[in-house]
Amino acid sequence: MIEVKNLTKSLPNGRKLLDGISFTVKKGEFVGILGPSGAGKTLTLRCLNGLLKPDSGEVILEDEKGLKHDLCKINKRELRRVRQRIGVIFQGYHLVKRLSALENVMIGRLGQINTFRSLFYGFTDEEAVEALKALEQVKIANMAEMKTGTLSGGEMQRVAIARAIFQSPALLIADEPISNLDPSNAKIIMKMIKPLSANIPVVGVFHQPEMTAKYCTRIIAIKDGKIFYDGDPKLSNNMLAEIYGEELSQIEQQEHAIPMVAVN
Amino acid sequence: MGTKKYSFKRYRKLLLPLILLLAVTEGAAIVCGATFEKLLQGLSKGLSFLLYMFPPDWSAFAEMLQPAVESILIAFLGTVFGAILSIIFALFAASNLSNKYVRSIVRFLIGFERSIPEIVILLLLIAAFGLGAMAGIIALSIGCIGMIGKLLGDTIEEIDVIMMESMESVGANKLQIIAFGVMPQIMPSLISYVLFRFEINIRLSVILGAVGAGGIGYELEYAFGLLEYHRALTAILIIMIMVFGTERLSLMLRNKIKTEGVLK
Repeated sequence: MIEVKNLTKSLPNGRKLLDGISFTVKKGEFVGILGPSGAGKTLTLRCLNGLLKPDSGEVILEDEKGLKHDLCKINKRELRRVRQRIGVIFQGYHLVKRLSALENVMIGRLGQINTFRSLFYGFTDEEAVEALKALEQVKIANMAEMKTGTLSGGEMQRVAIARAIFQSPALLIADEPISNLDPSNAKIIMKMIKPLSANIPVVGVFHQPEMTAKYCTRIIAIKDGKIFYDGDPKLSNNMLAEIYGEELSQIEQQEHAIPMVAVN
Repeated sequence: MGTKKYSFKRYRKLLLPLILLLAVTEGAAIVCGATFEKLLQGLSKGLSFLLYMFPPDWSAFAEMLQPAVESILIAFLGTVFGAILSIIFALFAASNLSNKYVRSIVRFLIGFERSIPEIVILLLLIAAFGLGAMAGIIALSIGCIGMIGKLLGDTIEEIDVIMMESMESVGANKLQIIAFGVMPQIMPSLISYVLFRFEINIRLSVILGAVGAGGIGYELEYAFGLLEYHRALTAILIIMIMVFGTERLSLMLRNKIKTEGVLK
């Protein structure tokens, strides 16, 4: 379970980026965060795994043993330990391109094994077998030995999911995981993320309301650093217009101002 | 016609700098006492001297092989230790791994090293280690830092920062990020820089040998000192074979890495 209480973050000039964000995500939930760009979606997400410290507020992660960790208060060493159990998937994949897919999956456990062992011995055969199972789960076990840089975007995102699975995480975070993918790959990735939410809370930032309506169990919409909507994933057109309102109207104005010509 | 006129106009801008360059060149030649007369004189003298050196003393060939091998070994050891030193410097010189202040200090040291010719380093080291291979090896090792350290540091700075952040977010520490994220990514560049430096070190080891680091350079200098010019020519031929051979070898290997790099 992850509990976010009253997150705030401001720029030095006083502009509020996050203004009292609170929500709780339990296991079994796949929460999609929507909102116009600059609303604070990614900032919120970065607070969830301690990459960003809010000005005030709490981010409490409860693991399966019932232990609670406040990511905003613990020191660096403890934060590293908690992060071992937080899986993160990024929009741009950000894998080590010159390592094989299998090695990239195993990187997911670096934090959980002894530094000395990881540097001089590497991973055990059992770990390799387990990592391969994670790749099987995302259906690219046949690419385990291939250099990650040679894979396609959809395949790289699957490697990233396998890495998160291999971490045996207590929380999964996804930052725009399907924004770089074509519609069919995006669907595949959503289908692979969804079942993970059976055992752990999953929180992702998305730009595709039609996808979140189909796969997420709950939507949180953020606007101007505040929670604007929290509830059913199927949003009415009116609601969508209200969430993205300003952004959409700006785009429409621009379209009127600048005539667009397609050039071949 | 018109275009021809126009193409000449471009050179008008060059006229003044060209006149200035000519004036400075002439001035420098007067100061140094360099004249065309001397050049022609020297050329004819040099040519007759070269003819006088012929034929090489083939009987010295066998006994010069050992110093030649020694020169190659000095270059080899200098490059190996130099590469290790350079990697350490490069890691601290990269903005995405190092602290801002440490980085500027290390960058300064690298630049400082680059400004000192290897021969000066050797002369300082001879005072500490005496004449011989040891001083040569250390001088060449230190000499690597200015070049490999700088190039490698820049290569590390090009690595995807979010990739490192994503490793941090699974709980990996700095050493693990370097071993699993940084080293695999820079390996092709590292090998290519080291091979290139090995070529340079082969040539340098000959020069340093003449100053007191032993090897084939010393043989050459010794033969010249005794006015045994046929012997000296043998040494020169061996040096040419050495330099040419390592250059070809290194070029071949570097090309191989390059084409492999295209495939990733």
